[in-house]
Amino acid sequence: MALEARHVSYRYPNATGEVFSELSFRISGPGFHALFGPSGVGKTTLAKMLAGAIKGFEGEIASNGIQRVLYTYNLERLPGWSNVRAHFEAVAPAADRRRMDELIETFDIADQVGSRFHRLSLGQQNRANLIRYLLQEFDLLIMDESLANVDELTREKIILKIKAIFPERGFLYISHNVAEVAKFCREVLVLRGPVKTPQVISLQGRDHREGSEFNHRLLERAMLEIVNAA
Amino acid sequence: MLHRRIYQFLIIYGLGLGLLLVLKYSLNLSDYVIPGPDEIGRTGRTYAGPYFLAVLNTLGVAILGHILSICLATIVAVIGRLTAWIGSFIRTAAFNIQAYPIVAVAPIIFILLGDGLPSRLLIAAMICYFPLLLSFIGVFSEPVREIEHFYESTGRLTWRLQIKIRAFENIQKLTTVIVGSATMAMVGTIVAEFIAATAGIGYSIRIALYQSDLAKILVALFLIGVGTSLYLVSLEWIGNALQSRLKRA
Repeated sequence: MALEARHVSYRYPNATGEVFSELSFRISGPGFHALFGPSGVGKTTLAKMLAGAIKGFEGEIASNGIQRVLYTYNLERLPGWSNVRAHFEAVAPAADRRRMDELIETFDIADQVGSRFHRLSLGQQNRANLIRYLLQEFDLLIMDESLANVDELTREKIILKIKAIFPERGFLYISHNVAEVAKFCREVLVLRGPVKTPQVISLQGRDHREGSEFNHRLLERAMLEIVNAA
Repeated sequence: MLHRRIYQFLIIYGLGLGLLLVLKYSLNLSDYVIPGPDEIGRTGRTYAGPYFLAVLNTLGVAILGHILSICLATIVAVIGRLTAWIGSFIRTAAFNIQAYPIVAVAPIIFILLGDGLPSRLLIAAMICYFPLLLSFIGVFSEPVREIEHFYESTGRLTWRLQIKIRAFENIQKLTTVIVGSATMAMVGTIVAEFIAATAGIGYSIRIALYQSDLAKILVALFLIGVGTSLYLVSLEWIGNALQSRLKRA
């Protein structure tokens, strides 16, 4: 499984400057990868290009072993005409009901799934939204700040569980949390402003998993590298 | 307890009647121009029955025309949302046609269809159709991206689901427009009856006008106001019940 961008340049319609100029990178293998960078640098735009929602750019985005890319973001809502569980049941394949219950438990929203989406807190809403995507068929799931407004401990639990349940699938995690991307992601794409060259730098994260040993000094080094690159 | 709408109508009607009586007594006008309270009361007792039936007749046509225009506006708006250019074309056409007063076309309709039910129904429907269409097109053409994105990216977004999402998200707006256009349907029917029909309260007002009998007109206006208010109250009640049922947790 690999995703590669070659000399990608893009300018918004009617905009003067380019968002990306000659952007090239490669991420390979399943697992958690990150897209990191300051606000407004084009992370969401790049994510949409990778998901095929934005076309008309120069250069090429090629993939190997990735048939289906899904993109989810943190402002999504579930329809209000049924409760969250009924919605999950409507969009999850019948064979995945056990997995659905497992995710509901891990994501700590078991007491809320009987309610309508608008009654949930922002963090609970984001978790509910992410669960329905995890119940779909995909090779790569792009998570654009999908765990925003979720407390740190629950976020860690969720990421570790996702890595354990879906070891063969790819995730591109967009976040502003340097500690999180350094700790849990394997490859970290640091996206920089259009005036910087190269516009994207690929770094190694610690790829921490459930039960694996954890070295704080190596994490600090990874975090420093990411911050310096940004 | 009287509903807010009926209460408001009674206040406005009372103020209007009071103003007429103030004019009558301050300018010393004869009963022929503005009848006194006794004559209005007497006329009310005599004509309340037949006028009530005439209002029911008009209300029936208005409700039918209203339902007809809601159905038509929904169908056209659903089709109009399919592609940008069809939606844009229908919206522009609706704006232009709406700008033309339907009442001015009414005589042509009466000449072609006669003075019976079809003409009244058509005029009532046409008067409230275009405002409904413009609102419906606006609602059904506007994507609710934060909800539709999931269905779109997982290949589940059917046209029925799209309409369901957009209607659900704008239920308040749709209810308001439907309630607002109900008044227009009632006005359209009365105007149609006033112009050429041979039934309904508009026709009764026309007869009263030929007789220069203001008391009859005042009684008719009272019953029209009560009837319209009751219809609007019913629509609001249905809208609220629907909304609370849909949003109940």
